[in-house]
Amino acid sequence: MMFKAMILKELLLVLRDKHALAALFVMPAVFILIMSVAMKNSFSNDNIEFTLHIQDADKSSVSKKILSNIEKNKKIHLINQQKNAQFIMTIPKDYEKNLTSKVIIDVRGSLKSNQINIFKGILLEDILSAKLNKMAQNFKEPAPEAAKVLSSLKVSADNVCQVHYNSSKNIPNSTQQSVPAWIVFGMFFIIIPMSTIYVNERKQNTLARLSSMNVSIFSMAIAKSIPYLIINQLQVIIMLGVGHYIVPLLNAPALEINGSLIALGALSLGLSVAAIGISSLIAVSAHSSEQATTIGGILNILLGAIGGVMVPKFIMPPIMQELTQISPMAWGIDGFLDIFLKSANLGAVIGNVIMLMLFGIVFLILSVLVLQNRIKKGI
Amino acid sequence: MIKISHLTKTYGDKKALDNFSLEIKKGQIFGLLGVNGAGKTTLLSILNGLILQDSGEIKIDHLDLKYHLKEIKEFSSIIPQNLAFYEELSVKENLDFFAKVQNATKEYYSNAIEINALENILNQKAFTLSGGQKRRLNIAIGLLNNPKIIYFDEPTVGIDPKSRNEILESIKTYKDFGVTVVYTSHYMSEIEKICDEVAIIDNGKLIEQTKTESLLTNIESNNVMIEVIYSDKLKKFGFSFVNKTTIKTTEAELCDVLKICKKHNIILKQINYGSTNLEKYFLEKTGTYDV
Repeated sequence: MMFKAMILKELLLVLRDKHALAALFVMPAVFILIMSVAMKNSFSNDNIEFTLHIQDADKSSVSKKILSNIEKNKKIHLINQQKNAQFIMTIPKDYEKNLTSKVIIDVRGSLKSNQINIFKGILLEDILSAKLNKMAQNFKEPAPEAAKVLSSLKVSADNVCQVHYNSSKNIPNSTQQSVPAWIVFGMFFIIIPMSTIYVNERKQNTLARLSSMNVSIFSMAIAKSIPYLIINQLQVIIMLGVGHYIVPLLNAPALEINGSLIALGALSLGLSVAAIGISSLIAVSAHSSEQATTIGGILNILLGAIGGVMVPKFIMPPIMQELTQISPMAWGIDGFLDIFLKSANLGAVIGNVIMLMLFGIVFLILSVLVLQNRIKKGI
Repeated sequence: MIKISHLTKTYGDKKALDNFSLEIKKGQIFGLLGVNGAGKTTLLSILNGLILQDSGEIKIDHLDLKYHLKEIKEFSSIIPQNLAFYEELSVKENLDFFAKVQNATKEYYSNAIEINALENILNQKAFTLSGGQKRRLNIAIGLLNNPKIIYFDEPTVGIDPKSRNEILESIKTYKDFGVTVVYTSHYMSEIEKICDEVAIIDNGKLIEQTKTESLLTNIESNNVMIEVIYSDKLKKFGFSFVNKTTIKTTEAELCDVLKICKKHNIILKQINYGSTNLEKYFLEKTGTYDV
């Protein structure tokens, strides 16, 4: 009952703080819209060409036909050396005997996810054409109608090729970059309502009063964290919605979530714990809400700048790319990009989730200790 | 009800409480008087388990505070000087929140509303309330657990005389229910009006503990206070001072003091016969006006 009351109270206080709501929901949504549209040309895919190395383990008529189809394709350049290729395609042994098997594509270069999709589309055409040709030969009495029907079938690229991302660094499109970056940035802005409420409670002796009512500081800290956890999840859902439904209305690419939703949920929880931890520590350490919001704001901007919110990580020089790892925002953005671009599952982002959780828990414990000390000293 | 023995609390080099002992009887309204920094807030904080003493023993309702803090907190309550509630929430939302935190019963909840006359403002946001209404809400929150002991830390600061009287009258009624009240205030008249017993604290030490009634009788003394315009010459004559501009003397010596003043052109502002109220008594005991 006490816990429920604490959560409800905190939620009511945040929901009645219009400025905080604007910072938490309007600011990141506006940034997503502006940045997705502003950067869309620099992420354009016009006149794109790919380099491909093919490993033919089948050496069959079908594999040769695929090779010859690709050779004729102006958008794909076949190269002999693996190291310079953006993609390596392996046609497995007995491919001709089992036409339902898939070719394997390793992504090696730095590519945007939609570039990979374009490549897969081109490849699909060449592979399907070779497969259909072989199937037509297998028919005892070639039926032109059947061939016509077959050629009109819509087949997904995922049915003919299996993509391995290896250690490649895929480049997001403007929406894929903007959405996670500004989601993460917005999540850390819970510092505004959190510090305002914490400082008021401390200054008005409400925390001391609660403490005199047998409410432990630890319970207070946990109960205060839960509403922000809910708010952060709402932020993620709303911002993903903005990226998926609203951004395309402005002629920028829509956000597609290719990876696991469980991974997305876990990552967003981890980010929330990190944001709550650092915000709590600032809120309980500051002498006034003005001081907390100033320190919190500056820290958020610094963490954002280092972590790849303002400037996408992939365009940073290598040393700066390494440096991004000191910011928890980068751990979150990297995780989101893995989910959006590499169809990552929970296993692929669990490292980021654990780091974010640990970061948040350490700061949360520190904030409880600081708060305990301040209440005891009556400051 | 409350027995404090040899209590000491130090902040760095400063002794906030120095071998402090005090006894408060059940059902009393007990006044704590002291200047800022005298140790009143430290004492209330220790009694409410917000800070720990360095040494000494406290027994509340025969329970040792050190070992039974949780039980003691369940039957005691502090009304802080600050308005310790949420301005953005309505009166009802505030009461609901603090009631749930303490598992208050419906009866106690209704009583807190009734005693503090909050029925008609339950849906008003706290920030829209008048100073007096805010004070009443602050008190009502403290009554939600139906406490046996209530600590009031200057509960009437910044409100109009009418609201102050209403609050004081309501506090007096707690005695009827056997509640023990510990009351600190900057207003001596309040202590005079409602307290059965009073303790004067200065520099963390108990200066005096006595019944308010007998104290007020005793201080109807032969003392005379002469307020003058400040002059450097005053130091020469070996007068006894309450402060820089108030000479303390007796009726027997008054004539001599006035002669000296006249001779040395010391301008008189007023002469008060006897220490007729607690404020003057407090000034005599602590030698300061900074209450």
